[in-house]
Amino acid sequence: MATMEQTSNTPVIQISEKKKGESLWGESWKRLRRNRAAVIGGIIILLNIIAAIFAPVLAPQKFDRTNLPDNNATPAWVTQIFPNMKPKDQGGYVTISEKYPIGADNLGRDMLSRIIYGTQVSLLVAFIGPLVSIIVGLTVGMIAGYFGGATDNVLMRLVDLMYAFPTLLLIILMMTFFRTSFASPEPGTISYTLGQLDKETGGMILIFIGIGLTSWMQMARLVRGQVLSIRETEYVQAARALGATTPKIMISHILPNILGPLIVAETLTIPTYISYEAFLSFIGLGVNPPTPSWGSMISEGSKNISSYPNQAIFPAIALFLIMFAFNFLGDGLRDALDPRMRGRD
Amino acid sequence: MARSRKIMRYMLLAVLAVVLTTSGVLRAQDPKIVSSGISMVGGDLETIDPGLAEASSQIEVINQIFVGLTAQDVVTAESGLGLASSYEVSEDGKTFTFTLMDNVPWVRYNAETDAVEEVTDESGAVRYVTADDVKYGMLRSLNPDTASPYSYVLAPYVVGATEYNAGEGSADDVAITVVDATTLEVTQPDAVPFAISIYGLWMARPVPQWTIEENGDAWTEPEFIYTNGPFALKEWAHDESITLVKNPFWPGSTTVPQAKLDEVTLRFLDPGVQFNEYLAGTIDAVQVPVEAIDQVKADATLSAEYVSGGNPCTYYIGFDNTEAPMDNAHLRRAFSFAIDRQSLVDNVTKRDETPAQWFVYPGLQAAPTLETNPDLGVKYDPELAKAELALALEELGLSDVSELPEIPYAYNDSSNHGAIAQAIQQMWTDTLGITVTLSPQDPTTYFSLLSEDAPLVYRAGWCQDYSDANNFDYDVFYSASSQNDTGFVDATYDEIVSKARTESDIDVRRDLYAQAEQILVVDKAAIAPTHWYTLNLLVKPGVERAPSVTGNEAYYLWDKS
Amino acid sequence: MGQYIVRRLLWMVLVLFLISVVTFLLMRSVPGGPFAREKRLPEATVALLNKKYNLDAPLWQQYTSYIGDIVIPTVTYGKIKPNAAENYLLNVPLPAMFGDEAVLRWANFGPTFKSRSRSVNDIFRENLPISFQLGLAALIIALAIGMPLGILSALKRNTIYDYLGMGTALMGVSFPVIITAPILQYFFGVQLKILPVSGWGDIQSMIMPALALGFVNAAIIARLTRASLLQILGEDYIRTARAKGLPERVVIIIHALKNSLIPVVTVVGPLFAALVTGTFVVETIFGIPGMGRFFVTSITGRDYPVIMGTILLYAFFLIVTNLLVDITYAWLDPRIRYD
Repeated sequence: MATMEQTSNTPVIQISEKKKGESLWGESWKRLRRNRAAVIGGIIILLNIIAAIFAPVLAPQKFDRTNLPDNNATPAWVTQIFPNMKPKDQGGYVTISEKYPIGADNLGRDMLSRIIYGTQVSLLVAFIGPLVSIIVGLTVGMIAGYFGGATDNVLMRLVDLMYAFPTLLLIILMMTFFRTSFASPEPGTISYTLGQLDKETGGMILIFIGIGLTSWMQMARLVRGQVLSIRETEYVQAARALGATTPKIMISHILPNILGPLIVAETLTIPTYISYEAFLSFIGLGVNPPTPSWGSMISEGSKNISSYPNQAIFPAIALFLIMFAFNFLGDGLRDALDPRMRGRD
Repeated sequence: MARSRKIMRYMLLAVLAVVLTTSGVLRAQDPKIVSSGISMVGGDLETIDPGLAEASSQIEVINQIFVGLTAQDVVTAESGLGLASSYEVSEDGKTFTFTLMDNVPWVRYNAETDAVEEVTDESGAVRYVTADDVKYGMLRSLNPDTASPYSYVLAPYVVGATEYNAGEGSADDVAITVVDATTLEVTQPDAVPFAISIYGLWMARPVPQWTIEENGDAWTEPEFIYTNGPFALKEWAHDESITLVKNPFWPGSTTVPQAKLDEVTLRFLDPGVQFNEYLAGTIDAVQVPVEAIDQVKADATLSAEYVSGGNPCTYYIGFDNTEAPMDNAHLRRAFSFAIDRQSLVDNVTKRDETPAQWFVYPGLQAAPTLETNPDLGVKYDPELAKAELALALEELGLSDVSELPEIPYAYNDSSNHGAIAQAIQQMWTDTLGITVTLSPQDPTTYFSLLSEDAPLVYRAGWCQDYSDANNFDYDVFYSASSQNDTGFVDATYDEIVSKARTESDIDVRRDLYAQAEQILVVDKAAIAPTHWYTLNLLVKPGVERAPSVTGNEAYYLWDKS
Repeated sequence: MGQYIVRRLLWMVLVLFLISVVTFLLMRSVPGGPFAREKRLPEATVALLNKKYNLDAPLWQQYTSYIGDIVIPTVTYGKIKPNAAENYLLNVPLPAMFGDEAVLRWANFGPTFKSRSRSVNDIFRENLPISFQLGLAALIIALAIGMPLGILSALKRNTIYDYLGMGTALMGVSFPVIITAPILQYFFGVQLKILPVSGWGDIQSMIMPALALGFVNAAIIARLTRASLLQILGEDYIRTARAKGLPERVVIIIHALKNSLIPVVTVVGPLFAALVTGTFVVETIFGIPGMGRFFVTSITGRDYPVIMGTILLYAFFLIVTNLLVDITYAWLDPRIRYD
């Protein structure tokens, strides 16, 4: 109740106290900074980015270095946590080795290194997925919203059609299609280039394009709605009267105004992309081995969950933390950029 | 006082007697029911039609409910008698005359009476399995319209069958003759000694003609099916389980006796789920997933219940012998010698397999074994591998391995093929300095790829169809075989395995196959066999599993106490 | 409203048709066929099988015959042999004047290539209800946990209840099913042995799978309920209601809740559709004979009729639930009107 009254009272006071040159972004940034949860989320993401960039330095071993005799080796402290993991010298089945800080997987590869390298995959999904989704959704939404009429109708029907399509099945169909068509392409074609790019990145490009392509509809709808409302505003009409061309209007006038909700919506969808990647790895359509992704590590580990729970739990924690972080950050961004919160600290 | 005490004593005795007898009666009435998940991974069975069966899980069920002329003894792997009580071979070794048992009825399970009953015809007489039924079953499998996936195994062993199966001959020209209701004659074009085991395979078993004609594709459903074996089909809950019930009317043969169990439920569960069920105590027999093997062997209770058995399959790495650079035999040999097979089975596959030195599974009829031919074939030898690599580079005119083109190693991404691939990739990098590119595919794409144009390096496995070395060395790697994806062609090899096919002396055959293997895996190194499979199971105490070397369970030999 | 519904249904037919074309083209452009095996089938056999399932006809013909089988009803006379390729969803016996033992049959979705004795309709009849039950159970759990949690967090905003509630919700959203399912199975099924490890049939076997599925969605519903309730509570008409002196409980329940349900209802529709169809992971881990598995295995196995059938089913489901959601919208918010 006190909060309600404040809303109606504060703007009057705020305007007179506003400093010169305070922009929308500056204000939002300040609000965001004050949201502790969002800050924590941001820090976690930052740490992940650092881990991804400096992985070769940070990781204790190479992520693809198999060491067969050390398969499933575990350090002593892990066996303390999971009571049913009894070391061999106590009548159990676990090989103890202190070489691996959190244990080795079934081929003797160091799990900590693989988790560190796994940040690259998760962050790539987190950035490329939304990128693809925004590019396609933005284009479709802008065109539909700005030109209206028949164009709008057709494009929105297309969006409806895509919505009715089961996204996951679409991804699976597309992944199967991409993989098989790149199995033996001819050099010089686009397929070949994409296939080479795919191999360089360990099979990731295709996945991210696939994942991005399944979520652009939400973006398109959002953008279209925003464009529809902004299109008729005075400053856009003024720009048109002044003779600005359509693309210029779209880029310099409309785009900055819809960027806010766009960013928020995408940040909140990022956890979905990450879990899509995990699911694809689970059914075997994820990144190519030996490239580590938390999703494939979890799916491998969940087969062993009774014998070596550490192999699933630790990557799960990493996955959980990053999804957690993106959720908090997204919430914080939404609160920070919400125009109704303006003037409220 | 004394009288009442007497009465008390008699009453006590009476009660004791009643208790003893009822408990004895009750125990005798405890039905012997076993639930098992062995081989039943991979979801529902596609079919249990003997003419259409392909996968080993389907064949396993068919083995319990349909019996053929001969049957494979699961303990010795030899061919024994099934429906036939005896048989004779003609002088030239080409014609077999089978005498069938005359008291094997067709049966079905009646859900209303909860009992297996014999099939009777209109007059009330019991319908027994006759030679006509066997002929019908064989011809149906050979009939091109049936599109049976295994007709090609039966066809070479019956005169006129290949033509009929190809749609060029007529059924009348197929040399299967019904002499009378219990006598059947089959003639084969060549005098192949192990043909006797072929005639007992699932595609050559009798099937109930009348229900197939009436009910079409649905004849294998419980309400329409008729069977003749030691078990009958009680229930088939698709995607869940299939339940077999004892058939008391099966007279039993030495190889296929009457069943001791009353009921067997086979549940379709993934390996991890099966294992969890076993730990929870809700299933009697399961196969052990590779991830749990460490745990099982170290656990006191589980290791006592752990059973390791034979499984006649060979895992191998195939090479495209026709495409550069893998068309160079030295390079292939280098790859083969550089695989540390013992490390693979110790650390990756972990099922106590034996590193394979050659292709055919030892223990099959006429196949060499590690006792008879200990030094045959290929072993891990990094120095030799490097020497072969040097020779290969020289022949190819290259100075360094970095000049080799990219070599993909393709595999289907199921099971632990990925782990094996990564391990072998590392071995080749360490010993030869060559890093192959891993190329996982989903199974369907992978198998299509193999048949169209085999990748330079790929993985494959072969399991026996019947228990003879011919099934491995001839059926797979004879130059014209449709299963030969390597493009391997060698006139000497073809000659040897053709000769071994019709040779009657088992020791001579074994020597011939040994020679053939030497060409296949060493001289030409067309493939690099890695290991021979095993079966790893857990069986609850109280359930007596019959040991089997065929890779299939014989539930009619199991018992429960 | 009636006109609106009719228009939406017509639109659904068009969408289903378009989806069928896109799916057909996409799935046939993926190389590999349904008959690829580790042990090669002889070419002659593959040719025969292709002929049997009409896979050697030109593509457009295959498509039209497939659609024709579904859409165009036929009448059969006399007893017909059970045939996986001719199995119909709707079988209506006709009175004698139409002919001897005439039966009107409709909706044949074709056979499945992976089983000689079953058809796609059999899969719909036997496996779909199970996934449906599972999805429903998961939805009930999601609502039963999510809504109270969201309401509590909204009412006690910025208190410890809020942080705990939203913290739990955030955890639920961040833990994928592929990790919660095996953990639940191992803990309750193997270690504690109080719930069955796998299978389907009684309430007990429903608990763990529904929980694994429902937990993630409970989290989503909790967050959404909280956000929307908070937004409603900030609206003017709530202030009015309070100013009028109505008891807090009445304000919340009668005024606030009803409207805050709208975004939740929006989500429930697609959520339910996704639940029913996205049960692959849970069904594999818990050995449940539902349809979820078919969605994935049919694609990797190139079982064309099953792929088409499952995708069309999903699309149908989604469109119908969206329609129901929109109708519920109108009922919840009198400001919404459809023309």
